[in-house]
Amino acid sequence: MSQNAEKVLDHFSLFRSKEYVDMFENKKTFENAVPVAELQSAADWTKTREYRDLNFAREALVVNPAKACQPLGAVFAAVGFEGTLPFVHGSQGCVAYYRSHFSRHFKEPTSCVSSSMTEDAAVFGGLNNMIDGLANTYNLYKPKMIAVSTTCMAEVIGDDLNAFIKTAKDKGSVPPEFDVPFTHTPAFVGSHVTGYDNTMRSILEHFWDGKAGTEPPLVREPRDSINFIGGFDGYAVGNMREVKRLFGLMGIDYTMLGDNSDVWDTPTDGQFRMYDGGTPLAAAAAALHARATISMQEFCTQKTLAYVAKKGHEVAAFNHPIGVAATDRFLMEVARLTGRAIPEEITRERGRLVDAIADSSAHIHGKKFALYGDPDLTLGLAGFLLELGAEPVHILASNGTPEWEARVQTLLDSSPFGKDCHVYPGRDLWHMRSLLFTEPVDFLIGNTYGKFLERDTDTPLIRIGFPIFDRHHHHRYPLWGYQGAMNTLVKILDKVFDVTDADTMIPGKTDYSFDIIR
Amino acid sequence: MTGLRQIAFYGKGGIGKSTTSQNTLAALAEMGQKILIVGCDPKADSTRLILHAKAQDTILSLAAAAGSVEDLELEDVMKMGYRDIRCVESGGPEPGVGCAGRGVITSINFLEEEGAYEGADYVSYDVLGDVVCGGFAMPIRENKAQEIYIVMSGEMMAMYAANNISKGILKYANSGGVRLGGLVCNERQTDKEYELAESLAKKLNSKLIHFVPRDNVVQHAELRRMTVLEYAPDSKQADEYRTLARKIHENVGNGTIPTPITMDELEDLLMEHGIMKAVDESIVGKTAAECAVA
Amino acid sequence: MDLTLDEVKARNAEVITEALSVYPDKTAKKRAKHLNVYEGDKPDCGVKSNIKSVPGVMTIRGCAYAGSKGVVWGPIKDMIHISHGPVGCGQYSWAARRNYYIGVTGVDTFVTMQFTSDFQEKDIVFGGDKKLDKIVDEIQRLFPLNHGITIQSECPIGLIGDDIEAVAKKKSKEYDNKTIVPVRCEGFRGVSQSLGHHIANDAVRDWVFERGADKPALFESTPYDVAIIGDYNIGGDAWSSRILLEEMGLRVVAQWSGDGSLAELENTPKARLNILHCYRSMNYISRYMEEKFGIPWVEYNFFGPSKVAESLRTIAAHFDDHIKEGAERVIAKYQPLMDAVIAKYKPRLEGKKVMLYVGGLRPRHVIGAYEDLGMEVIGTGYEFGHNDDYQRTTHYVKDGTLIYDDVTGYEFEKFVDRLQPDLVGSGIKEKYVFQKMGVPFRQMHSWDYSGPYHGYDGFAIFARDMDMAINNPVWGLTKAPWNAGH
Repeated sequence: MSQNAEKVLDHFSLFRSKEYVDMFENKKTFENAVPVAELQSAADWTKTREYRDLNFAREALVVNPAKACQPLGAVFAAVGFEGTLPFVHGSQGCVAYYRSHFSRHFKEPTSCVSSSMTEDAAVFGGLNNMIDGLANTYNLYKPKMIAVSTTCMAEVIGDDLNAFIKTAKDKGSVPPEFDVPFTHTPAFVGSHVTGYDNTMRSILEHFWDGKAGTEPPLVREPRDSINFIGGFDGYAVGNMREVKRLFGLMGIDYTMLGDNSDVWDTPTDGQFRMYDGGTPLAAAAAALHARATISMQEFCTQKTLAYVAKKGHEVAAFNHPIGVAATDRFLMEVARLTGRAIPEEITRERGRLVDAIADSSAHIHGKKFALYGDPDLTLGLAGFLLELGAEPVHILASNGTPEWEARVQTLLDSSPFGKDCHVYPGRDLWHMRSLLFTEPVDFLIGNTYGKFLERDTDTPLIRIGFPIFDRHHHHRYPLWGYQGAMNTLVKILDKVFDVTDADTMIPGKTDYSFDIIR
Repeated sequence: MTGLRQIAFYGKGGIGKSTTSQNTLAALAEMGQKILIVGCDPKADSTRLILHAKAQDTILSLAAAAGSVEDLELEDVMKMGYRDIRCVESGGPEPGVGCAGRGVITSINFLEEEGAYEGADYVSYDVLGDVVCGGFAMPIRENKAQEIYIVMSGEMMAMYAANNISKGILKYANSGGVRLGGLVCNERQTDKEYELAESLAKKLNSKLIHFVPRDNVVQHAELRRMTVLEYAPDSKQADEYRTLARKIHENVGNGTIPTPITMDELEDLLMEHGIMKAVDESIVGKTAAECAVA
Repeated sequence: MDLTLDEVKARNAEVITEALSVYPDKTAKKRAKHLNVYEGDKPDCGVKSNIKSVPGVMTIRGCAYAGSKGVVWGPIKDMIHISHGPVGCGQYSWAARRNYYIGVTGVDTFVTMQFTSDFQEKDIVFGGDKKLDKIVDEIQRLFPLNHGITIQSECPIGLIGDDIEAVAKKKSKEYDNKTIVPVRCEGFRGVSQSLGHHIANDAVRDWVFERGADKPALFESTPYDVAIIGDYNIGGDAWSSRILLEEMGLRVVAQWSGDGSLAELENTPKARLNILHCYRSMNYISRYMEEKFGIPWVEYNFFGPSKVAESLRTIAAHFDDHIKEGAERVIAKYQPLMDAVIAKYKPRLEGKKVMLYVGGLRPRHVIGAYEDLGMEVIGTGYEFGHNDDYQRTTHYVKDGTLIYDDVTGYEFEKFVDRLQPDLVGSGIKEKYVFQKMGVPFRQMHSWDYSGPYHGYDGFAIFARDMDMAINNPVWGLTKAPWNAGH
């Protein structure tokens, strides 16, 4: 017996004790386990070029994709508005999944309701679920707005949200003037970034275009303010706050559209806040009058920006800007659009970042990286790596489009460090596994699921992306702005140094490089 | 998009819905209207008379080949036909697989996003038989078709289908703006067909907008994959379609919220016109042979 | 401060009334049937269960897919489980349940991988059977050591009328009678995960037992062969259970389904006794094996030393003296460890009040473990229990316990706020709500990434973790000192 009350052993060490190891060995008798030699040769085969070619020839099967479905993005966007409860029309299990997914990443509650459609609703349509659901949500959770989206079930049977919500209002589920923007978010089209885009657009349409025909559309009276849209971003908490700080320093009149930085970072002080912060609904409506709208994630806001541009806004889109040049472009565009100068304080922050890069770049220069994630994030990170003199050798986005591919290629072509780098749209992490075996790199950048690649291919993982389940609190620190780039730099450097140390710590063998000064 | 008329033709399969709609739209084109036809029947036969084609490449088949609808351009799916009528077919799966209703949603979303309706005076949706699921109701959602024309005849099942379609319209009429434009009766030469159609229209709080007589010239034109308007512009039948087109054109804003009736009321209607006798319980469920013996 | 039993009952009844008062009438009437104060002499808990969740109330439940792919089938380690439909379902459930296993992932073992058909619009419109056909080919090419495939249907599959059974049969024939199991666990079926368990059990029956009946045995039977049914090896639970069974002289020939393999499923009909932990999710297949193969089954509970000892004796009662003596030997062997654990933790936990809201078996099964530590469960409820679960619960709960079936987010928050427990045990969606309120919390689905909690080894960890949660110094810091007065 290895367990003891003094020092309780849990799964980390309990199962390594002899009694358990023997038990596992014995269990194999009943498992029809693959003989060790056969297992080893199969494992080795998966590392070959031949396997890679078979792997890349896949046409139907998807293994370990780095993308989620539309309604997840819908929920992400909706909770960024004041007092807003996302309401997903369709099967209820989906909502349980979205809530868990966000809570595992942010370590925060995520409130969202479902219309709980079941087999009868599949046959007869989900109108009654909408009528009862809106009434219950409104009475129980006292939201200021209910943002409706759909699961694939409701989309396949063709439920009409506009008609359903109107009928529900006629039946008194919610008051006639209560805000219920809606958007169709079929899971079999695009990915979570599409869902974000559709939802952001639908909420703006709701406020600007007369609330689904129930009020006259607003008439734009151009003002000098600007709107800011962050896009689907695992670092929303840190990033939004950093951008607000920068805008504050510049003295800008701005509206953050979809600001979920507070609702996913509430204090533990004895009170549960179902809603916190968010874009005030009046501000969302008034955002029509802004002079310009800035999006930090172009591929996440394509339809939203097209809509906003049609309203007469000047539009500026970035690709999750990280680093000196990307932040320069962002701030200069903000300065141009607002006519506000970039203050000395920010210039000094820039200088500190350049200082840090100069201090440390020797440890990153020439290193090879593989990275995957959402289209904008991978563009932003690749740009920063090139700026650091690193080579982003494999760049992959499961939800990357041909347009994204072209954009990444243009970026790679713009730098000598991008020469031998390749871009992989629509591929998954099992493709990445083959890439890492056949064209190894020094480091991998990706989300938590990258740890399986780290284990298989021995490529050290730097966790940047969404979701991050197995490291805590990084979402509280920005990647944007010069400060954010500094955080990103430190994340990368910490891993570089840790790996260097780990590689040089065998006494009498490698310890000559085990330096205390690096 | 001010002034864009969006209409839809619904009707039981085999009733001559596609023929009626294409001839009527050809007549509207003759009146100088710019027309876009959106075929919403998986059979994709809503534009063949306009295009002189067997079947047009459909949005969904092209999208499946290209990967997704996002990979398509409008010009890939839109064809020009008789009198510059623009034609698209939604298409869909073979019978018995997949989800044709979802296909209708996909196609219409695509057309709207791509600005297919710009410059048109009329958009006409040609929709499969019955409103069998939410997808086939897509054309009657808010901001889609404003008026629905139900193509029917004096046959019991056609009237039954017309009543059912009215139920579908009613469902959306209260929340959205869709209205029943009227019934179009395609003559089948059943007993008291005109009177029946008139009465049904009245019961449904609508009107019989036109009674299209049967004429073999329609078949002759069809064999050549042409509308009567094009094949025999001087024929009497062409004038019938011109009349129907004019009535539809003048019917703007005159649509009504339908009042569908129960099955019993429908049977009563048939009895009123002597088509059906008061239910003689002794004949219910009896075959013709059995009745003859009795 | 301690209330009398009558006061507790009155308070609990009042809390229910208060919670219901906020609902629209129609919903209040429905929800009232799911909430009750347990009367000690009743044969069940007095609540309705396994009924559709009310729309818009923030139910904590999941779906049939979660019950099949996430619970029953997903842990079978040498089979590839295709999440068939759009990408999301498989993504959100990817490796999230910590069903531990031994194996080389991606080569002969596939539990923590996400295989999906990633449905696109064209697959919905034109049907997905051809894609599924091709997926099986690609799996065979890239993962040749897999021992079988399951097709876990997501919502659209049933709605568009795909014939996955036909594809499964065709591909099975093409690949030498390979086990390919179509599972009709579309998320809109049923009212919760529960129907997914049932459908998954039926799929084992139809596609493993009935179709693969002539597979050769991998071992010679002994009179002491048992199968562990309904243990998903979360954090290694099945292992810390198996070790006790083997120590008492039994031979475990199969684990369903944590760290399980297809061969173990196939060989279970050779067991002498099926021992069933999670009754809710696997009673169906246990009953089937009893009828079809004559294998008796017995429920057991491996949470906390009292229930472990009781269960070891119950299991031993099905065997000869050799095993009965073995059970006593095991109980005696671990007694000193249990005494030490209780001596260490009971003084820190005695009298603490707990509210639970979990799935399958835990709303009742863990109560004994808390009582071994001197703690009291004052409220409990099931996410997807049936009436037979609530009947079984009466053996565990005290008179006056607050019972809540398919609790809504609103009710749970209200109940905790009013009953002021020292600990809440529920899931990830609830965890942060209650921690924000300053209430200590442990996830009782995932063991909060700790575990195992089963068996004697597990109880030590359970005790440590409850202490860690309740006696965490952070709970003394939630009020800023300058606001402490108010």
